[in-house]
Amino acid sequence: MKKTIHSILRHAVLLLLAVVWLIPILWLFVTSFSGYKGINTSHFFPETWTLDNYAQLFLRSDSIVQYNKWFLNTLVIAIFTCVISTILVLMVSYTMSKLRFPGRKTLMSFSIILNMFPGVLSMIAIYFILKTFNLTNSHIGMIIVYSAGAGLGFLICKGFMDTISVSLSEAARLEGASEAKIFWKIIIPLSKPIIVYTVISSFLIPWGDFVFAKLMLNSGIATDWTVAIGLFNMLGKSMIAKYFSVFCAGGVVISVPISILFLIMQKFYVEGITGGSVKG
Amino acid sequence: MKKKVLATLLATAMTVGCLTGCGGGAAEAPAAEAPAAEAPAAEEPAADAPAAEEAPAVEAPAAAAEGTDPIANLIAATTGTVTLKVWASEEDQDLTTKLLDEFKAAYPDVTFDITLGAESESTAKDTVLTDVEAAADVYAFADDQINELVKAGALQEVVANYTFDVVNENVTGAVEAAAVDGKVYAYPMTADNGYFMFYDSSVFSESDVQSLEKMVEVAGAAGKKIAMDISNGWYIYAFFQGAGLELTLNDDGLTNTCAWNSPGGTDVAQAILDLTASNVLVDMNDEDMAVQIAEGNVAACVNGTWRAETAAEAWGENYAATKLPTFNAGGKDYQMSSYSGYKMIGVNPHSANVGWAMLLAEFLTNEAAQTARFEARGLGPANLAAASSDAVQANPAISALAAQAAYATPQRVGGNFWSPAETLGQILASGNPDGTDLQELLDTTVEGITAPVE
Amino acid sequence: MFTRPLFEGRWFVFRRDLFAENDFGMEVHMKKALNAIGDYFKNFGIAFVKGDVWVKLTAVVMGAGYFGRKQVVNGLIMLLVEALFAVLCVGFAAPNLAKFGTLGTVQFEQVFDPLTMTSTVNDYDNSFLILLNSIIALFIIFVFVLFWIANMKAVYRLQIQKENGEHINTFKEDVQALFNEKFHITLLTLPAIGIVIMNILPILVLVAVAFTNYDQQHMPPSALFTWVGWSNFKSLFTDSVTVTFGYSFKKVLTWTLEWAVLATFTTYIGGILLAKFINNKKTKLPKMWRTLFIIAIAVPQFVTLLLVRNFFADSGIVNTFCANIGLTDFLKNVGLVSANLSYIPFLTNPGWAKVMIVIINIWVGIPYQMLIATGVLMNIPEDQIESARIDGANPLQIFVKITMPYMLFITGPSLITDFVKNINNFNVIYLLTQDVYVTSDQLLANSNAKEIDLLVTWLFRLTNEYYNYKMASVIGIVVFIICAAFTLITFTRTIKGDKEEEYQ
Repeated sequence: MKKTIHSILRHAVLLLLAVVWLIPILWLFVTSFSGYKGINTSHFFPETWTLDNYAQLFLRSDSIVQYNKWFLNTLVIAIFTCVISTILVLMVSYTMSKLRFPGRKTLMSFSIILNMFPGVLSMIAIYFILKTFNLTNSHIGMIIVYSAGAGLGFLICKGFMDTISVSLSEAARLEGASEAKIFWKIIIPLSKPIIVYTVISSFLIPWGDFVFAKLMLNSGIATDWTVAIGLFNMLGKSMIAKYFSVFCAGGVVISVPISILFLIMQKFYVEGITGGSVKG
Repeated sequence: MKKKVLATLLATAMTVGCLTGCGGGAAEAPAAEAPAAEAPAAEEPAADAPAAEEAPAVEAPAAAAEGTDPIANLIAATTGTVTLKVWASEEDQDLTTKLLDEFKAAYPDVTFDITLGAESESTAKDTVLTDVEAAADVYAFADDQINELVKAGALQEVVANYTFDVVNENVTGAVEAAAVDGKVYAYPMTADNGYFMFYDSSVFSESDVQSLEKMVEVAGAAGKKIAMDISNGWYIYAFFQGAGLELTLNDDGLTNTCAWNSPGGTDVAQAILDLTASNVLVDMNDEDMAVQIAEGNVAACVNGTWRAETAAEAWGENYAATKLPTFNAGGKDYQMSSYSGYKMIGVNPHSANVGWAMLLAEFLTNEAAQTARFEARGLGPANLAAASSDAVQANPAISALAAQAAYATPQRVGGNFWSPAETLGQILASGNPDGTDLQELLDTTVEGITAPVE
Repeated sequence: MFTRPLFEGRWFVFRRDLFAENDFGMEVHMKKALNAIGDYFKNFGIAFVKGDVWVKLTAVVMGAGYFGRKQVVNGLIMLLVEALFAVLCVGFAAPNLAKFGTLGTVQFEQVFDPLTMTSTVNDYDNSFLILLNSIIALFIIFVFVLFWIANMKAVYRLQIQKENGEHINTFKEDVQALFNEKFHITLLTLPAIGIVIMNILPILVLVAVAFTNYDQQHMPPSALFTWVGWSNFKSLFTDSVTVTFGYSFKKVLTWTLEWAVLATFTTYIGGILLAKFINNKKTKLPKMWRTLFIIAIAVPQFVTLLLVRNFFADSGIVNTFCANIGLTDFLKNVGLVSANLSYIPFLTNPGWAKVMIVIINIWVGIPYQMLIATGVLMNIPEDQIESARIDGANPLQIFVKITMPYMLFITGPSLITDFVKNINNFNVIYLLTQDVYVTSDQLLANSNAKEIDLLVTWLFRLTNEYYNYKMASVIGIVVFIICAAFTLITFTRTIKGDKEEEYQ
């Protein structure tokens, strides 16, 4: 009997917490179906229900809402970003984990310190560097922004590779395989969890960043934007009263694929991050 | 002082008019006819010089005396596609698209590649100043930004008019607001960016809205709120300027002189404290105001034409607007002042096609365009002819603005004004929680406002 | 990298063993580095002095040493590199570096001719581009010098090899080496170029900007800016009424550190507790519960934060609700809400906003920490817990004595990096308070800061709204120094020993 009460209590607490965590998300979801375009402040649930906000996103593109275009832009940028970042991260982590060369540790410490510089500040300099190459207002520029520095984020991946037993590569080396071949044939296949993690996490970057995107894509032309700028723009002073529920609909739409990816990644995330340490 | 500026302006405009020899002539011809005049010149492309001289001789004798017509010159000199980038606010996209098409149609012999981007007038400065060279060739902005834009070299001086007389066909206030140091830098587009009082006439009578104290009393009895964004330099200015405490921009165009802490200042601060203490006059930002009006909690608010739609919707036939009321400070009634506000269109001096950009800016702000803008969005025209139409006169919000105009001043402040003034408003509206001595409070505010630009 | 912390600070989780081998023992490190640099130049000197005519010629004609040893392709490549460098020097570096001392003298001027409707612009100087290009040029020169030295040594090595009658690599063999013993060079080149462009050059530029008067009065292209020495650093530490940067800096720094501690520990502890709760054997359907919490973070952060800001707005839905159930009035009576407000100032009053920001950050952060903690907890050595239980330890004791130390051991470094990420946590503060929060501290207002500002959000506002690049750069450098110092100190203190090789 006492056990049942305990169990009920335990699940009640969990339920309460889950509700707290999900209320804002639920609000996002129901508001996306609201017939009233502004912020409804007196009712949690909309008074009139409609699919119009979604229709406005996908079917009625105008100079403010170009959701299809934003989605496509972001998707293209995200795909290139994740491919390039993953390659860069793998290159650096393999080098730092498996190869031995003079200056390796110094390089690693240096890169950790480099990572501490507040990125918000380097924005303007990066902007002008890319402008010199005429890469502002271009999606290629955005891909460079999101992926070029990826090499610095090698630590998690390196940590994972450290746990791959060195005997495998030793054996291969004895058989005369080159370092490049060991990298391709042995390390990469064994690093699957961390690769999946790196791919997905770099894929998600363009979907969430608006500060850099807003600076770089400054033509004011809505068809150039990414989802994040477009949605951020909808909450501007002059827009919010007419676009809040459209913003919510847009938020729901990008959350669906991202949630799915996230749930897939979750497994590899935990595995990749804790995989090595638990063995130690 | 103001008259002096205006006189200089007029003189400049007249000189320019004489120089180009076109100002007067074109001003009489509506914009739509202008292209007709240019058509012959354009038909014979740059091949021979006389073409440019003959064309104006037909339509504009005045120009013949000077021997040339700039627009014809420009068309003749234009080879290849004219690429222009235009920024208009999100709400103005449809109308601007239409106007751009008309502009292209007006010059059929020139190939245009005009792209239209969305950039809110209130934030244009932020985007433009980050990288002036990458900003649009023609962009809309609110007149409060003109000083910083001119300082940053982001506005082309309007040295000449081609299709109409910008200085004389717009209301004086708008032209003054478009000028810095006596030089005109922008084309007035609307004259409705100031603020005034909206109210629900089922709550307040016409005599109630003459005095803020009376309004607070009436609204308190009715259980409604009066909203004003007190924690915002733009609005709190109404009290201090109303009481005759001046805030002016220094000649350097960046720093301020402010008299808010001079004798009488504490009375104004006390008045704001008293008014907000009742919790009837509440400090509320613009977005919240929109919500609260719609919810029916707010029965009057100090705001601008951009809220007219919300108010009209919520209050129906009781929707009314008028000048700002008086307020009592130190036993004396003062009429609240306000900032007059205008929206402008500016031309980027870094544009590769400055000439075409100027023509386009004129086209987007001429009488026809301003009338269209009023009809489409209810924005008050700056153009005299457009503003005198019956429809404009009958608009409650715009006539309230006109009534307030006598007490309004153009917005000329340096960047250091905003944060300290905003904070002063925040402290007063929250009832001065730390109990700081009012004189001390104002002294610190003024020190911040008048601080040298760092 | 910039975008990652912006996107989601918590994605970087470092494990203890990652750092174990980083060996931040400063003295050892410095000594090693100094020795390395010493050797570097010594070897170069030897190469230069003892080299034969080919080696000496290499100092001028970089390919010479290779031609002398019949490595034609190598020689051509070196010549090409040298030629390219020469072109860069003349065409790019020289014109920019010539103006580096003044950062330009010719002001922008534009003349518009009303008759032809065309404008002419003079050949003006753009201070920022001069600064940027000069730094790029200096960087290229620096890299070239290193390359030149390395080349000298390589050529000398060839000489030795030849003298000793050793085998000299053919070009093909050299290329093959890049996939074997020199594989690290191949792998690191591309990432390094990216890091130089995205991290190193911008940092160098901004360090330089901190010594100029680049602000709204001196904004290129229309105006010029120039060097001013240390004066910006002085104003950061000055306290006067008109220049309140010193005052604001102290306030903002204090809150930044408070925030970083609070944000890090609340989410860390909360995450562990939640994970324990869910993973407990008595909890049914642990997977479902975990998923429910993860949904909250799967929605992009900027969407949820903007949403939550409106959720808690002064006239937002939470306030309506609180007013309806009488909570607002209750709080007024208690004195937590000022009497002349009709709402709870969740994000508009300094005290409330700080608390709310921390709470919302808990909301955002706990699911991440829960995920990590879940992974770690699943691997806790069961035998230890069992034996403790047999010894009669209660669950709390087990948690404090076994679980927590284990967690700390594994995730200690991640805690430290989380702390640093929180110092730079731009998203939460900016998205929750931008356009909403008005400061009521006049001295802060006078330097455009707010009570809830972190150093990063303050410097973002300084650049984005006030174009005060010089002060923003100074603040940026200070943040950088704080973070770097903190990391170095904590890592040296907490981590000893080199464990990397244990796995290998």
